[in-house]
Amino acid sequence: MLTKFETKSNRVKGLSFHTKRPWILASLHSGVIQLWDYRMGTLIDRFDEHDGPVRGVHFHMSQPLFVSGGDDYKIKVWNYKLHRCLFTLLGHLDYIRTVQFHHEHPWIVSASDDQTIRVWNWQSRTCISVLTGHNHYVMCASFHPKDDLVVSASLDQTVRVWDIGSLKKKTASPSDDILRLSQMNTDLFGGVDAVVKYVLEGHDRGVNWAAFHPTLPLIVSGADDRQVKLWRTNDTKAWEVDTLRGHTNNVSCVMFLAKQDIIVSNSEDKSIRVWDGTKRTGLQTFRREHDRFWILAAHPEMNLLAAGHDSGMIVFKLEKERPAFAVSGDSLFYAKDRFLRYYEFSTQKEVQLIPIRRPGSTSLNQSPRTLSYSPTENAVLICSDVDGGTYELYVMPKDSSGRGDSLQEAKKGPGSSAIFVARNRFAVLDKGNNQVLIKNLKNEVVKKSGLPVPADAIFYAGTGNLLCRSEDRVVLFDLQQRLVLGDLQTPFVKYVVWSNDMESVALLSKHTIVITNKKLVHQCTFHETIRVKSGAWDDNGIFIYTTLNHIKYCLPNGDSGIIRTLDVPIYITKVSGNTIFSLDRDGKNKTIVIDATEYIFKLSLLRKRFDHVMSMIRNSQLCGEAMIAYLQQKGFPEVALHFVKDEKTRFNLALESGNIQIAVASAKEIDDKDHWYRLGVEALRQGNAGIVEYAYQRTKNFERLSFLYLINGNLEKLSKMLKIAEVKNDVMGQFHNALYLGDIQERVKILENAGHLPLAYIAASVHGLKDVAERLAAELGDDVPPLPEGKEPSLLMPPAPVMCGGDWPLLRVVKGIFDGGLDSIGRDAVDEEEGAEGDWGEDLDMVDVDGLQNGDVTAILEDGDVAEENEEEGGWDLDDLELPSEAETPRISVNAHSSVFVVPTPGMPVSQIWIQRSSLAADHAAAGNFETSMRLLNRQLGIRNFTPLKSMFLDLHTGSHSYLRAFSSAPVVSLAVERGWSESASPNVRGPPALVFNFSQLDEKLKAGYKATTAGKFTEALRLFLNILHTIPLIVVESRREVDEVKELIIIAKEYVLGLQMELKRREMKENLVRQQELAAYFTHCNLQLPHLRLALLNAMTVCYKAKNLATAANFARRLLETNPTNESHAKTARQVLQAAERNMTDASQLNYDFRNPFVTCGATYVPIYRGQKDVSCPYCTTRFVQSQEGQLCAVCDLAVVGADASGLLCSPSQIR
Amino acid sequence: MAAAPDHLFNLRNNFYLGSYQAAINNSDLPNLSPDDAVERDCLVYRSYIALGSYQLVINEIDSSAPTPLQAVKLLALYLSNPHDKESTISSLKEWLADPAIGNNAILRLIAGIIFMHEEDYNEALKHTNAGGTMELHALNVQIFIKMHRSDYAEKQLRVMQQVDEDHTLTQLANAWFNLAVGGSKIQEAYLIFQDFSEKYPMTGLILNGKAVCCMHMGNFDEAETLLLEALNKDAKDPETLANLVVCSLHLGKSSSRYLSQLKLTHPEHILVKRASSAEDSFERAVQSVA
Repeated sequence: MLTKFETKSNRVKGLSFHTKRPWILASLHSGVIQLWDYRMGTLIDRFDEHDGPVRGVHFHMSQPLFVSGGDDYKIKVWNYKLHRCLFTLLGHLDYIRTVQFHHEHPWIVSASDDQTIRVWNWQSRTCISVLTGHNHYVMCASFHPKDDLVVSASLDQTVRVWDIGSLKKKTASPSDDILRLSQMNTDLFGGVDAVVKYVLEGHDRGVNWAAFHPTLPLIVSGADDRQVKLWRTNDTKAWEVDTLRGHTNNVSCVMFLAKQDIIVSNSEDKSIRVWDGTKRTGLQTFRREHDRFWILAAHPEMNLLAAGHDSGMIVFKLEKERPAFAVSGDSLFYAKDRFLRYYEFSTQKEVQLIPIRRPGSTSLNQSPRTLSYSPTENAVLICSDVDGGTYELYVMPKDSSGRGDSLQEAKKGPGSSAIFVARNRFAVLDKGNNQVLIKNLKNEVVKKSGLPVPADAIFYAGTGNLLCRSEDRVVLFDLQQRLVLGDLQTPFVKYVVWSNDMESVALLSKHTIVITNKKLVHQCTFHETIRVKSGAWDDNGIFIYTTLNHIKYCLPNGDSGIIRTLDVPIYITKVSGNTIFSLDRDGKNKTIVIDATEYIFKLSLLRKRFDHVMSMIRNSQLCGEAMIAYLQQKGFPEVALHFVKDEKTRFNLALESGNIQIAVASAKEIDDKDHWYRLGVEALRQGNAGIVEYAYQRTKNFERLSFLYLINGNLEKLSKMLKIAEVKNDVMGQFHNALYLGDIQERVKILENAGHLPLAYIAASVHGLKDVAERLAAELGDDVPPLPEGKEPSLLMPPAPVMCGGDWPLLRVVKGIFDGGLDSIGRDAVDEEEGAEGDWGEDLDMVDVDGLQNGDVTAILEDGDVAEENEEEGGWDLDDLELPSEAETPRISVNAHSSVFVVPTPGMPVSQIWIQRSSLAADHAAAGNFETSMRLLNRQLGIRNFTPLKSMFLDLHTGSHSYLRAFSSAPVVSLAVERGWSESASPNVRGPPALVFNFSQLDEKLKAGYKATTAGKFTEALRLFLNILHTIPLIVVESRREVDEVKELIIIAKEYVLGLQMELKRREMKENLVRQQELAAYFTHCNLQLPHLRLALLNAMTVCYKAKNLATAANFARRLLETNPTNESHAKTARQVLQAAERNMTDASQLNYDFRNPFVTCGATYVPIYRGQKDVSCPYCTTRFVQSQEGQLCAVCDLAVVGADASGLLCSPSQIR
Repeated sequence: MAAAPDHLFNLRNNFYLGSYQAAINNSDLPNLSPDDAVERDCLVYRSYIALGSYQLVINEIDSSAPTPLQAVKLLALYLSNPHDKESTISSLKEWLADPAIGNNAILRLIAGIIFMHEEDYNEALKHTNAGGTMELHALNVQIFIKMHRSDYAEKQLRVMQQVDEDHTLTQLANAWFNLAVGGSKIQEAYLIFQDFSEKYPMTGLILNGKAVCCMHMGNFDEAETLLLEALNKDAKDPETLANLVVCSLHLGKSSSRYLSQLKLTHPEHILVKRASSAEDSFERAVQSVA
């Protein structure tokens, strides 16, 4: 039993869950009805109007109503929003046992000790039916969830099922109600609108409870005979199916839980029992020490139960509902029902993979608890609580689509946690011995490792590492080194979520989240008042998590906030951008799109990515009190400024961020004394005298203003102040100003005017104003005061200002990151200090230097010490030297034993195998067996000149091996690279060597050759085509078809080589016009690509035309026009040539060229070989030659001997097979 | 089996995986037992050897140092002076014959390495085949691979796996073996190097290992990327250059730059030797065919 909430109170007799909200009503024996929030664990309300015990209570499905019935014979209907009882239904003549709303109609059914069941209409507030027939107390009555039936249980030992179908017809029009009331009275005994359908007899004592199955025609009942009975009904009858025995006292309540196919009952024997609904055997028993159970209630939607007992109630779950899942990259693996399923985040596709073990229904909570997936092995580990904790290992078939329904025999083992820790390795916790067993996929123990702390669960922590959880801490443990890498005190950790880059980890406890880095160094902790359920990291390093009812975020700096609320708990599997992927309790995948602006904004702020911040301010609706407060609190008042409209807040923020311009603007808007004053203070701090002056002026703060002018040295304005004071008749102000100005006449005048004649006299005489002094002395007469003696009088004069007026050097303040330079806040702060304490700089530096020197000296000293110590240690080593060698002496026997060892003879190098296996020249060349290779080529293609092939041979050989540095300082290992590798190739079977030349490369070269020809780079083109011809002998292709392609390629390349050679030759012969024309003409008979043919024709036409061989030129022009040239100017030239030739169809010189007679050109002498003439050909490139060339090296391919015998090109293993 | 934590674990790992500088830098470990300290010194000096600082090793190890260090010095002497190998080998043989020290694991290991360089696998195996340490077993695996006797290599590997399947050397040896036998095992080798790259900082050795696997799987593009990354880490690493030559050839790119670089810095490299011997044999073949 998973207890979610518990209350202590008087005996609880009635319970009812709210459909939507996390609320439960408990009616007590004391007469009070309590409304609890079981999620927060708080008492929301209490309703105390019943007199005596309240036995029945029920929430309305949709209205804010509930009904209660008590021992005061009253049925009360309450509105919980209004916190009051709406009305009372009177009619029962004894205690009321249960009350229930109908799910659809405005009805209430009540059961009473007056032996009747009544149905009420709570809208008309009348009783619409009285069901009579029981002849003892009716202990319970309830509506069927769908059908028009009521089931009731009574102490008369029967359960009755009532048909209330006719009641529905009667209520068709509500206005009938009054009418029916009278009718009802006639029906009171033996009424017809509700009739007994079945009477179920079988209990030996009074029946306390009876309940319908929500979907099946079943009824369950519990009675004082300590039995739970199961009944079945059909249209005509009802019969007893089975009896569940086990309770040792009166069964007080019983119900079906259809979702899990179980029956739950409770009893005065202080126990709750869970029964299998199909097998009808006891599954589990939960006992309480002292409290008898009285009532059960099930949540209408969630898997929650509540039970009321003598001293309160409990809200509980029978099974965990968290689906076991594991995330790996784009995939989610999770257990649902009896299958392992797979979900792809990017496509949102779900696949059922393999069936997993059927949970034996011997007890509850056997479903998978955790799941660990290994992507390299495509295997899962599923842990469950079966037999005190077991794991099962399933290896998934390669083609995940083949979802065989056959149950794969899983490899099992005991252990409460099992996780993959590396490829082909998983760790299983052996709690008893406090160690982990490292196993391979065959489920064999590879290694055992003791744990540093008594752990009760282990979690993944990167390859080869474990997080071990004990009661109050987690420990990061390296399995290979057996070292504790990190240790952290935390509340009991339930789940562990690693960030995608494995740099951070979130440790989820019941009510806290602790975030640490990968070394388990604490970064921040979050506390929640309600349960934390799940979490995942987004790509920016923000942790998104769910509680029972919220999705929240936390930032790396410890800030957190709510993203949205949730109706039902979900388990986050992945966060991608602003999409949250989750599983719900039914194992369904859900995606939730959230508004990520807030936390992304905060993160940007945190990372000082002000460009982001700025664009977010511009583009999104982010303002609000909370955001401003946040910005202020985090020290970004200048950012907050951009949100605020309210002038006062704006002013405050501006002052805080030192943005004096905005502050002035706001102050103008606000225009009150206090704000001006504060503006003045800030401006003064910054040294912005102009603003200070302005602020003082606005507040008419003359004294400050005067003083400002004084220290500013602005004497002009100061004297104006004097005048103002005079005008305002402010004597004191006048005097001050005069004093500041050092204007003694004025001062004397003021004193005189104010009537302080003695003072005026003294002032005048001291400062040497004799005239005035005399005049005053005369006025004073006898009262002339004595002048102070022994004092040197001097006049106070304002010092000459260093600079006059204007602003002082301003403090550098943050000048709106957003207006100007996007400097970091930190630097600005430093600047500020520098501005203020410029003078201190040097002193500080001096101190620094001293400190540094001291440090250095000690460092050097320390170094010395260390060195000495090292030497000492060296000495010790010498002493120890003997020990290890002694220790090893016994091993000599091993050595002696090993003398039997016979060194194996070296095996056959792979290249040797290649030579044996293949008769392809290229393979031999790659293997380094050049001689055989050459002999093969000689035999197959008649090749004799190998010099052009040298680089090919060498490259093939070089490219056949790769190099692996194995053991340090040992010689490097060379490894034979094989071609045609496939995943399924079996090891130790040697494939042929990988060759550096392949057909596709030649294809590219061919294209390059074409391109060069088009561009007229004939030498380059010739090189490329020759290269093709030189590579082909060493090429290997797979299929016959490709062999044909290769052969075609030889022909193509040969034609071009021949043609290009002739063209180049023609260019050499500037003098011999006839030969030029002939060569140009022969070129047009090479088999060329159409564009090249056109160019060749154009060329030949031009040459012939120039040489006045008009007839021949006309022939070329005609052929050119037949190709439909794309270039219009070419066509035009051709037409012009034709026209010119038609006028004069003659040739100036005789050419060895007859275009009407088919011919090939000799590859060496470049003369036409007409059909029927004898010739010889190159065995490799098939170029034809005049007979005299026999035995010479082929002039085209430069490889083979003309007219030599050859068996033909062999370039594919398929030719040999 | 709850053994004490292994202080030298990281040092060994760094050394085996080719991050020699890291091994040297992080060798200052407190509270080592005398045995561990000697092993530590061996590893540090061998790291220096791997980095080519032979003279430093020769100078720092004096005659009073324990046998393993002397053996390491011998290796430095052997490698530093390719022209005077005989004296080194003779003193090596002398030591090996000494029953008091001849059985020292490090000495035997060094003997194995030196005789491997001499391509005298019989002599090498005479000293190493008895095994005793993971390093000796790993060396055996390599010798057998060199001898093209993967059946024997596999046996050695099984021994290692029985001792500690997760040991870095076991994994490495497994990868070598997988590469040597080829076929579907190449993928396993790739996964092993992949594991290393996830678990430890990237080294040229790991990158080369991955690249070689890629080449053997026909994936030359990825191999080139990996090798260029390795070249970034160490522009003079002979294996990186050699593999780049091979890889470029297969990609149809020019390999001459890498080849001449390799010829300059490591004229003794097996690829250079093979290339020059191939040239000779080409000429000979032309003669004989003509």
